Amino acid sequence: MIAQISLTALLFAVMLYAYLQYRRSPVVGLLSMLAALVGLYFVWIPAHATKLAEFAGVGRGVDLVLYVWVAISLLVLLNLHLKLRMQMELITTLARSLAIANAREKSGRHVP
Amino acid sequence: MTAQPLWIVIAAYNEATVIAGVIASVRGAGYRVVVVDDGSRDDTANVAESAGAVVMRHPINLGQGAALQTGIEYALAEGAETIVTFDADGQHRISDVAVMTAALAQHKADFALGSRFLGDTLNQPLSRRLTLKAATLFTRLTVGINITDTHNGLRAMTRRGAQSIKLRQNRMAHASEILHQVAQSGLKYIEVPVTIEYSAYSLAKGQKLSDALTILLDLFARRLHR
Repeated sequence: MIAQISLTALLFAVMLYAYLQYRRSPVVGLLSMLAALVGLYFVWIPAHATKLAEFAGVGRGVDLVLYVWVAISLLVLLNLHLKLRMQMELITTLARSLAIANAREKSGRHVP
Repeated sequence: MTAQPLWIVIAAYNEATVIAGVIASVRGAGYRVVVVDDGSRDDTANVAESAGAVVMRHPINLGQGAALQTGIEYALAEGAETIVTFDADGQHRISDVAVMTAALAQHKADFALGSRFLGDTLNQPLSRRLTLKAATLFTRLTVGINITDTHNGLRAMTRRGAQSIKLRQNRMAHASEILHQVAQSGLKYIEVPVTIEYSAYSLAKGQKLSDALTILLDLFARRLHR
């Protein structure tokens, strides 16, 4: 029961994260939400997880939960990558403004 | 500064050894030129300025796509009516610029895209030819634009065309992105035969097959966020 409650709390945190990310990256938001919901379902109905695990050939239900967790982790990594790209876009805008403001030619004068 | 009808935009990164010759040919043809030094570690900016270009400098290296967008925005702010992007490594011929701008007017198009496969290539290795053919096929399939040379840096565009371009791919994936935006703009585009002359220098600076994977990842990641 303790493990179930802990995992539930973590998965709710993932769902909150997915909701907050949805506006910026709908793909990541939806996939994270889906993975968290699937995880929640299996945490509370482990018998189904075991059945599905047997069907999918991954052994025990707990293994399936672990795999779902790994999938969520990978999605979070992808999201971090996208955040870095967005940071780079902001840096680019800043660098561009600086470059244009400091344009110069041979006469030595600034020509923005 | 008075408005100038045609600006050549050159993105340059560590091109100090060749940029003066390229600018001399552009200035000799009577065009105004803006060089965007993309955070070079060598003396590219000073050499370009001495050769007669307007020079802007990115404080850090951002990539060719970012540099071209900076140059295009500058030229638009200066009142350019036509903008031509031109490589810094000396593989383009300045005489092709007049051909491309004439084609823009003749066909009432907003984009003239240079094609080495309709024109001519000098000293092109077979491996480079095959890489470009594969890139062209990929871009035609993903972007849906039917042209023969998707990675040619020689492009001419009207002011209206340039205003429809907003490159967000900083690095080499901008070549696909610009075609995507050309297609999305709904504006008319044409292909114009041009000549590309490879040198040992331009081949060493050019793209390699291994860069293709990075470009694919950039294009994929870009589609995942707004």
